[in-house]
Amino acid sequence: MDNLDYIESYFTKSPGLAETREFENRIGTDPAFAEEVAYYLSVLQVARQDAQEEKKRHFKEIYQKQRFTASVPVRKLVYYIAAAAVVTALIFGLYVFVQPPSPQQLAKQYEQANLQSLGVSMSGNSDPLETALGVYNDGKTSEALSMFEKIIQADTSYYTAKKYAGIAALRLKKYDSAIQWFEALDTYTGLHSNPAKFYLALTLMERNQSGDIAKAKDLLQQVVQDDGEEREIAQEWMMKMQ
Amino acid sequence: MNSAGSFRYTDQEIIEQLRQSGIDKRRSEEELFNRFAYFIREGITKHALSEDESFNAYSDTLLAAFENINNAHFEARASLKTYLYQIFHNKCVDLIRKKTTNKNSVHQAEAISDKLMLLSDSARSVVQKLIDKANWNQLREKLGQLEEKCRQLLMYWGDNYSDKEIASLLQYKTADVVKTSRLRCLERLRKLYKVE
Repeated sequence: MDNLDYIESYFTKSPGLAETREFENRIGTDPAFAEEVAYYLSVLQVARQDAQEEKKRHFKEIYQKQRFTASVPVRKLVYYIAAAAVVTALIFGLYVFVQPPSPQQLAKQYEQANLQSLGVSMSGNSDPLETALGVYNDGKTSEALSMFEKIIQADTSYYTAKKYAGIAALRLKKYDSAIQWFEALDTYTGLHSNPAKFYLALTLMERNQSGDIAKAKDLLQQVVQDDGEEREIAQEWMMKMQ
Repeated sequence: MNSAGSFRYTDQEIIEQLRQSGIDKRRSEEELFNRFAYFIREGITKHALSEDESFNAYSDTLLAAFENINNAHFEARASLKTYLYQIFHNKCVDLIRKKTTNKNSVHQAEAISDKLMLLSDSARSVVQKLIDKANWNQLREKLGQLEEKCRQLLMYWGDNYSDKEIASLLQYKTADVVKTSRLRCLERLRKLYKVE
């Protein structure tokens, strides 16, 4: 370990002429020492590559979460449009014969299926947002909401925290608060993917006060037009709410 | 927020964060990823790459940029967007040229080249020959066999985090403890590596 300490000091501090000469002499005359230098640098290389692979995996998770809907190759688009037409026809056919669920039921079904737990990164770092997501996933929604709100207080422009604060408020049926967070999220117009309008519609559908459903329909229409996040679900709901 | 009013940090703020502390650094890496993720779509439409290939080109672009920003090789003569797009374009062209070889390889780190340059030609040649003989797969496998905290510590070290930052991230008492622990981890890894 003494040699490793010495090797590390050499590479991390700026060695003087005498130290450089001594270090290089040892490399030339002591094969075991040279092996240790090579080992130290090899591990550094492998550790660096591992760190980069981990980052790439993390980026992949973010990318998959945000689903780049427009990245479908054009040649496949024809098949998807045809499939969508068939699905639309089927949904329409079913609508004729089967009474569709109410907007509130649709919203609750979505919430149960998609918002009971939220994705956390595998990095294991101590990012407060990751900690709050862990608390949320443990079912402590109220506690998680307070944590998200604290994060936003510390950094008022942190849009991801606003999204999660809105979701937690929605789960707690604090609809007015959820709407405030999603409206705040909606002001970030330059994001390549922003689910604010969809979540606003979801909240309004679940709250179901006078005028809420009409507003939710407008928002869903915008999601479909803008090719926004959860476009397919927005389209399906619009059909069911006609 | 930038001039578009949509993102939290300016180019300069992102560059400073990438060069500094742990959690801010990670957050700014994500910020940068999100900001230019639409390049992936351009890789598909303009270069006819598959989504996976374009994603890999974009990720490798960011990894190269992080390294250059960290090593102060990035001089900020152009905006981050222009700089990243140039790298991305070159990566796409490279991918098209070498489409049959090693599509998913990660950005090749050059963590040690700067360090090797600290040595004279003769000493460098001795060390380089020994490094070339290293069994990389085995070393990686043994690194994976270390206990999680050790592995994390070495990964942060490989990613240029300072001992002070690592202390905060992995809840060590001081930077000195991090250094001692790292040397112990290196020693443990060497024993595992030697056994084979």
